[in-house]
Amino acid sequence: MTHLSPLSVPYRAAQRSVSIVFAVAFFVFSGGAAFGGFLGAFGGIILLGSLVLAIAGYEFAYYQRFEYELTPDTFDIRSGVFGRRNREIPYRRIQNVDISRNVAQRLFGIAAVNLETAGGGETEGSLRFVAYDEALRIQTEVARLKRGESAGEATEPDREVLFELAPRELAIVGALSFDLRLPGLVFVFVTSAFPVASSYIDVPLPTSGVVATAVGLGGLVLLVALVSWGAGFIRAVVNYYDFRLTRVGDELQYERGLLQRYNGSIPLDKLQTLTIEDNPLKRHFGFATLLIETAGYAPSGDSRNGSSVGRGSEAAIPLARRERVRSLVDDLEGVAEPTYERPPKRIRRRYAVRYSLALGAIALALFGANTLLDRAIPWYVPLALVPVAIVAGVYQWRHRGYGLTDDHVVTRNGFWKRETRFVPYYRIQTIIDTRTIFQRRWRVATVTADTAGSLSLVGGDAAAVDIGGDDAVDLRETLNDRLRDALAERREERRRARQAALGVSVDATDESEPDDDGPTETSTDDRATETQTDDEPTETPTDDGATETPTESTDTDDSFLWGDDVEAPDEEGEAAVEDRSGSDSNDR
Amino acid sequence: MNRLHPRIRLLWVARAVVVALVVGGLTGAGVLFAPFSIPIYAPVVTGGFFLVTGVGFALLRYRAWRYELRDDSLYLQRGVFTKVNTVVPFVRIQHVDSARGPIERLAGLASTIVYTAGSRGADVSIPGLTPDGAEDLQERLKRLAIRAEGDDAV
Repeated sequence: MTHLSPLSVPYRAAQRSVSIVFAVAFFVFSGGAAFGGFLGAFGGIILLGSLVLAIAGYEFAYYQRFEYELTPDTFDIRSGVFGRRNREIPYRRIQNVDISRNVAQRLFGIAAVNLETAGGGETEGSLRFVAYDEALRIQTEVARLKRGESAGEATEPDREVLFELAPRELAIVGALSFDLRLPGLVFVFVTSAFPVASSYIDVPLPTSGVVATAVGLGGLVLLVALVSWGAGFIRAVVNYYDFRLTRVGDELQYERGLLQRYNGSIPLDKLQTLTIEDNPLKRHFGFATLLIETAGYAPSGDSRNGSSVGRGSEAAIPLARRERVRSLVDDLEGVAEPTYERPPKRIRRRYAVRYSLALGAIALALFGANTLLDRAIPWYVPLALVPVAIVAGVYQWRHRGYGLTDDHVVTRNGFWKRETRFVPYYRIQTIIDTRTIFQRRWRVATVTADTAGSLSLVGGDAAAVDIGGDDAVDLRETLNDRLRDALAERREERRRARQAALGVSVDATDESEPDDDGPTETSTDDRATETQTDDEPTETPTDDGATETPTESTDTDDSFLWGDDVEAPDEEGEAAVEDRSGSDSNDR
Repeated sequence: MNRLHPRIRLLWVARAVVVALVVGGLTGAGVLFAPFSIPIYAPVVTGGFFLVTGVGFALLRYRAWRYELRDDSLYLQRGVFTKVNTVVPFVRIQHVDSARGPIERLAGLASTIVYTAGSRGADVSIPGLTPDGAEDLQERLKRLAIRAEGDDAV
């Protein structure tokens, strides 16, 4: 059993004290004027001092009672000052090991370690804090134990630096990044301040309302663009300073960050989807971003709000030449961009109509405001943009499509933020085919290949949007078939590999199988016959009645024990999904 | 293709009625207590509107719902305005619940919920089954999932 770093005690105590002490100090020294009578400044100081001592004591107890251990097959954590918790995380279930250090932690030489598994709504193992060297040791050790090597045999896996971000490229990353959240805040601020501002603007220029509005709008757009560009630049530089991606054995490791250093591992066999992302600027200069998704990350608070930043861990390559990104995709997944099947041409009209309707709605709203508030807003201006809407429709259509390769389904969507997703067939979880009432009018449908990837939680599913209705049915069934075939193939491959490794004959059972849910011998037999007679209807279970009970019990035991499965059943989830499929249709 | 138990309509219609009553009641409260005047017939109008649309929606929803156990997947078809067809390969099933809420129990119904590791896992639930039917479906799905024998789930 190992303890955390002793330095974590003062660090944690300081961290916790700062917020509490500030709150209490504020209360005592400002609001406590009435208090002052019997407490006084001296009493306040004593109160704060004892509070700090209590915190320090608690953190020391926390340190004392927090232990972790790398056993041969699980990562054990025993923690808790008052309520105790013993947690064992099987290595095979660990998806990512992340290390982060902010400036203060770097001064102390300590790091926070997060162990992520596929399930649950939170980080499964969190070490606050260990020495940085120890963090690195845990990372490599977990990777090695996961491969099934015992701790003794230290085979150093081969390292290969896949990508390094040069300072010049970092500058380009910044220059090509936009962060629309800050302008969002500014926008809220400005609109709330607008009545005040407009009263100043309106008074000196009562006659030239049109010019004033135009200038105002133009200025606003420019401001938003500038602010979002600036924010994007700063964020990119802070996030991706000194970025490096390394392949270590069968894992990817990245390092990045200016103030807070991140260092994470992405096991290649847990990789869910690859996404190439670009925007018009990046496309023009021939750059692209590559995102790697694993199933590890729990939907953290901020990713629910539509931004998966903060974690940032999925980002693999912030920016590289497009050819470089493509060759990396080829390296990692052995797949190239296919020729895309575009939605039917009639859809272009749909998009144009949609944008025009939006413009019409804006014009209508302005007109309404005009009549109600008795202002001279030029409500007809948005209508001048209808030609733009038509062009936008064509562009949206052009950048949308899907393609099937040997092992992947590839989808592409979006003009401003174009995302090309590569989903291996064997990673597909469910296939969802939706048709909104409007899509049915146009005889089109959207086919979504849902994976366990974490970006999908924020609305980035691989989806073939607005493809013809019959094509959608075809695609749905094809995906299902290919998923089945791909899985069968992988299973077969594994079996062969195992048998080759064990040097046994073909019909030996694989009792020594290290992973999965501990199938009994009988069930393995059953499975073997199953793969051979794949076409038989599986729905008549006559022969496996006897084998069922043991299989079942191990199965449930396992999944409940490790709890690596799915989030809790909730009505909200369903509602949210329904909401989303509704809104999908609107903004796509 | 299987349909849901017809009695589920009762449940959904009852739910629509409750919603309509609540909305009507709230509007009624508005009529009584709002500082500005709301026409006296407003509660009836809003309540009636919610009643008609809610009941209509419930009935259409029942008509649209289908599910089927295919060779290697569970197939669901549903949705009134947005038609949603979902394919859940048995290999991907993580676990299967059969659940009975208090109102479902009153109506003598149950639902089966299928979980996958996908980001929309909780999406797949089949309401409106008889308790036996739900347990039977759960059992069959479980067996099929075991037979399909996936890789590790993700």
